[in-house]
Amino acid sequence: MIVTKGLHIGYKSSIAEVQDIKLDAGVYILIGKNGSGKSTLLKTIAGQLDSIQGAIEINGKEIKSIRKSNLPKLISFVGSKFPDVDFLKVVDYIALGRSPHNDFFGRKTARDAEVIDQAIDTLQIQDLKNRFTSQLSDGERQLAAIAQALTQETSIIILDEPTAFLDYLNKKIVLENLIKISAKFNKCILLSSHDIDLSIDAQRPFLVVRKDTNTIELLAAETSKNTIVSIAF
Amino acid sequence: MNATKRQNSLLLALLFCLPIVAFVHLYVGQIELTFTDYLDSIFSFDSQNTKHLIVRELRLPRMAMGIMAGAGLSIAGLLMQTLFNNPLAGPYILGINSGSSLFVALTLMTGIPFFTSDFGMIANSLIGAFLFGTIILFFSTVVRMQISLLLIGLMLGSFTAAIVAMIQTASDAQDLKMFTLWALGSLQKVELIQLPLIIAVFAIGLFGALLAVKPLNILVLGETEARLLGVNVRRVRLFIILITALITGLITAFCGPIAFVGLAIPNLVRILFKSQNHRILILSSTIIGAIFILICDISIQFMEPYLIVPINALTSIVGAPFVILLVLKRLR
Repeated sequence: MIVTKGLHIGYKSSIAEVQDIKLDAGVYILIGKNGSGKSTLLKTIAGQLDSIQGAIEINGKEIKSIRKSNLPKLISFVGSKFPDVDFLKVVDYIALGRSPHNDFFGRKTARDAEVIDQAIDTLQIQDLKNRFTSQLSDGERQLAAIAQALTQETSIIILDEPTAFLDYLNKKIVLENLIKISAKFNKCILLSSHDIDLSIDAQRPFLVVRKDTNTIELLAAETSKNTIVSIAF
Repeated sequence: MNATKRQNSLLLALLFCLPIVAFVHLYVGQIELTFTDYLDSIFSFDSQNTKHLIVRELRLPRMAMGIMAGAGLSIAGLLMQTLFNNPLAGPYILGINSGSSLFVALTLMTGIPFFTSDFGMIANSLIGAFLFGTIILFFSTVVRMQISLLLIGLMLGSFTAAIVAMIQTASDAQDLKMFTLWALGSLQKVELIQLPLIIAVFAIGLFGALLAVKPLNILVLGETEARLLGVNVRRVRLFIILITALITGLITAFCGPIAFVGLAIPNLVRILFKSQNHRILILSSTIIGAIFILICDISIQFMEPYLIVPINALTSIVGAPFVILLVLKRLR
């Protein structure tokens, strides 16, 4: 689903090089030091930031050739900051994920309602539906944000540190949900994380930013904690 | 679904209130008129009849202007609050009115030919509003904190006030009086003949705002999220500034700068409706804004025998404490 070739990422100049990778359906965990370029990589793959050099293919299409208005139908992105808004119901917040599919006036169809309900069911947040987003806990917010990304019906979901600010139990819940979603809907899910232990427990492939050369490479799920720590930190 | 029902019935109730308030507004004033006077003055107008003249020259235009001023400023405030993700934004506080004031001051008090051309005040007010809207738009892309943009807006206001003061000291008594009266704000300067034009421009503004409902609903999440959901933020920003400048410039040209309506009403509406759906927010801001200005103007006319209160003074007296309350409750 995601293929990179000779990719260099950064804002003005290259801060990291990505070894050619190919990500299919499944959960991938991106690990690296603060400031090593994790967010930059996620933003670049999500099409929010131009690459310095090299190519990214999304479902076989070069990302720069995809129209900006079509991108949200292919990739959904869950940022690290949850919007701080009053009077926005969780169900309305989740429904905004449908907007790339809606018409000019944003009218909802029966199909939209179905997709929204399904996302809410998948994450089991029926009881949050009619609460305001401002009343949610950090863990609940993350689940709502993932539900919104689900309603976009993209084959790729990218999450920037979805487990930061969460307690242990909520971290586990979020990660388990992502693994479940990836398996159930055959999605490619890429997330960055600082929780090494939790990530290793998840037994998923890693993308690691090498500390000395700033190259990003794909490591197998079986890689030991010591190896990862010694490469990344 | 229950909440939607509540919102719809609230909207319906407000829609029902507006004509009642408008009706009351038509009937207040020193001279008593009957319903037949109104009908006659429209359908069999007699220019010798004082009552007919009062209806045509004073009451109808004043009511219509009140409705559009309240509605328009509230819409403009709502759009700016959503665009800048800042509940304290508004055309007055961000200096859009200042732009209009500056250009109107130039029209009324200097002899520069460009500024006193045919379209005169209206065109200049619109240009000023759009110019200052663009300045604020530029600053909004540079500053990060909500409070910074408000401060820049206030500085823009002080800066233009200083320039206007300089123009004032240099102008003759007649011009100065005209400008001072304009700056106090009034719904009375509109003539029946001008109404169709004002209604047309207002309608364009309202229609434009309704066209932007979808991007506005997404912009509530902030510009980054909106971009991620496929909104062309740059285009939407420009469109919204155009609409708010159009509405604010129009109303400011005819009524003078009216403070706080654009800031207070959208907040009141959100609290009442507990919603972020801009279809509902725009419609209810329109109606509540209109009702608010009409009630203000009714009170002004009741006080008239004892005390002359300009509309701008009254909206500030009511609006400023409300905004302080809002800050204490929500932004502390």
